[in-house]
Amino acid sequence: MSKPESPDPQRVTDPSRRQWLRGSLAAGSAALIPLVNSGCSTTPAPAAVSALGAATEAVLAAVADRLLPADALGPAASALGAVAYINRSLLEWNQRDLPLLQNGLLALNEAAHRRHGRGFVALDAGEQDALLMALEGNTVAELPEGSTLFNRVHRLVLEGLFSDPWYGGNRDFGGWDLIGYPGAVLASTTDMQRLGQRLAPLHTSAYGSEHDGH
Amino acid sequence: MMAIELPETDVVVIGLGASGGVAVLPLARAGLRVIGLEAGTWMDPGRDYRADEVHNNVRALVTTGGKAASEVPTFRTAADQVARQQARHPMMNAVGGTSIHYHAQSWRLNPWDFRVRSATLERYGAAYLPAGCTVEDWPLGYDELEPYYDHIEYEVGVSGKAGNLRGTLDPAGNIFEGPRQREYPMPPLRSCDYLDHMLASARAIGLHPYRGPAAINSRPYEGRPGCAFHGYCDRGGCHIRAKSSTDVTTIPKALATGNLTVVDHANVRRIVTDNSGRAVGVRYFRHGEEYLQPARAVLLGTYTYENIRLLLLSRSQGHPEGIGNSRGQLGRHYFGHWDAQAGVSVAALFPRDLNIWYGAIAQGVMVDDWADDNFDHGGLGFIGGATLHAYTEKHPIAAAGMNTFGRVPRRWGSQWKQFVAENAGRWASAYIQTNTFPYANTWCDLDPDVRDPHGDPVLRITSGPKVNEPRAAAHAAIKMIEWFRAAGAIEVTGGQGGTGPALSTHAHGGTRMGLDPSTSVTDAFGFVHDCSNLGVLGGSVMGTAGARNPTQTLQALAWRTADKLVDKLRSA
Repeated sequence: MSKPESPDPQRVTDPSRRQWLRGSLAAGSAALIPLVNSGCSTTPAPAAVSALGAATEAVLAAVADRLLPADALGPAASALGAVAYINRSLLEWNQRDLPLLQNGLLALNEAAHRRHGRGFVALDAGEQDALLMALEGNTVAELPEGSTLFNRVHRLVLEGLFSDPWYGGNRDFGGWDLIGYPGAVLASTTDMQRLGQRLAPLHTSAYGSEHDGH
Repeated sequence: MMAIELPETDVVVIGLGASGGVAVLPLARAGLRVIGLEAGTWMDPGRDYRADEVHNNVRALVTTGGKAASEVPTFRTAADQVARQQARHPMMNAVGGTSIHYHAQSWRLNPWDFRVRSATLERYGAAYLPAGCTVEDWPLGYDELEPYYDHIEYEVGVSGKAGNLRGTLDPAGNIFEGPRQREYPMPPLRSCDYLDHMLASARAIGLHPYRGPAAINSRPYEGRPGCAFHGYCDRGGCHIRAKSSTDVTTIPKALATGNLTVVDHANVRRIVTDNSGRAVGVRYFRHGEEYLQPARAVLLGTYTYENIRLLLLSRSQGHPEGIGNSRGQLGRHYFGHWDAQAGVSVAALFPRDLNIWYGAIAQGVMVDDWADDNFDHGGLGFIGGATLHAYTEKHPIAAAGMNTFGRVPRRWGSQWKQFVAENAGRWASAYIQTNTFPYANTWCDLDPDVRDPHGDPVLRITSGPKVNEPRAAAHAAIKMIEWFRAAGAIEVTGGQGGTGPALSTHAHGGTRMGLDPSTSVTDAFGFVHDCSNLGVLGGSVMGTAGARNPTQTLQALAWRTADKLVDKLRSA
């Protein structure tokens, strides 16, 4: 399996952005700093490869969608790109979590089979929740490290929901809209630090205009 | 293979971070030829710093890596255990070092911190000194360091409000601070509604809150802009150079004199001494070649762990146990803020949106009433205390990972989704930073098993349990809960976030300053007792950790050591 060529954000250079940074430094005044990042930048290539494989990734998606289900407040975790984010992290900077997720989700699926005669994806929501509660409480006999798996997946789903959309999660800023985080900016005003009312969404990414909404 | 011998210079400074990056300035201004050896290289704000929680906090791309990542210390909690290597070093290498990504809270220690032992004996008696505590008075007092604190505030650039101007107290500042000769060069960082509210709430219950000092420009200063409060200061570099890290302050000033040469990617392996025990230079690797850099004097300004390790590794006929270790003191009296162990963070839920997404950790309100010896400890069973710090800058992943205060049955599912949708922007945390002291049960030495890629042993930390510091932190946490309640919080929980002992960015001691060579490694100016042309810079020389971040103190000490070295070399 070869790794897809997707850019590491650490290495992305953006001449236009650096250019105005120099400009604002030369001026020596914060007043000239644009409120949001208006430069364009390289868009990350969508990962063409599934780090976990399709079947295990489907289990992950089903788990993620119970952690953040679709409801009146908005879409479920996978529709918000949480699984896409986790996949990208596993392919790039988070490869050390691969064995835990690979083995753990497989074991979770087998535990579902043993209890219900169906895989985790085919369980109904109540059955999935019951199994996840047991996993969180570390009482699934087949998974002695069940709570470790649960905590790690929980954390990664949070990252996928609420990280900069540049990484493939928080699709259309749906995660940030849910919790009221307006968006990444390069400067804030006192009006953005007022008590009492939710700020209007900005839908801005740290990585430029391709992710500034549609 | 022979090392390539370079021409002699006046001073080699090892490490161009928070301390070494300051020391080069007085040396270069005095006309000395200075070579700064840095294991990392220059960071590029446009490339390396991002308004991105994944970049800074999840992947830790600014805070970790480089040479430091290859020499992570091992750790254990008792001498009969095998120490295990920690997963990640909280250190990195770059010109500017940790000052690039620190919170930039920039403090003078309280005068009490310099004389904890004698002050405790005077006020409470010997029974109040914690069991096993090896604390001594520093070999200098606050008054001796005051001019150097002033140098740092003006040369590095610190924003704040004086609370004690030559003895006149001003309640807008910290009335518990020691007297200062003049105001800060810049006013405090901009406030905001939440902080104004916290400040008023503290006043209402009789506390003495103030807006904390920060090595961040509150307005344009020396050609750098004021802070833009974008909310990604924590573990990130400043995209506009408003944070006064040494790579944008003292190091460029030193370079402008023409007397400083920065050598990047320099991996220092040994400090070289002659038969008389004097330092004569430094051996380092750079891009696969080994070099010997002779020098009239050496200043060691890496991080606490590498300071100790490099001295232990630099064995010779004159220093068979390592430089500064003839009395077995090297690595002893090692301590830091993790010794509080628990209760270091308090979280509160408010009934309205706080809008503290943006800002900076250093954009905060402080309370010193329960720190240091600012209150009567009679009957409390501990000395010292902690500062309380309410602040801004809340990143979205961390916000959504909030404590649910028991208001929903689980931290997932539809009920949780509704809870975070409403409350992720309505909670705040406060930091409890505790005075900590050295103990006989805590030290550093070389690990017998684990080695770095060059084959040298990594440092091993042994850190035993503490009683005094957790008590002081728990006491302060109760006060923080009272403050949050007074501010209208509807839920408050203490004791969150205490991780216990581990590797830390606030590692102190190991090369302690002192007058007595049998209980210290360095003298009153930071020079090794039995190697007087080798000075040590950084938190490793400090004998107590105040209830506050150490950087400005270790920078003031570094400037003072460099000044002393100028005198020494001129009279030589």
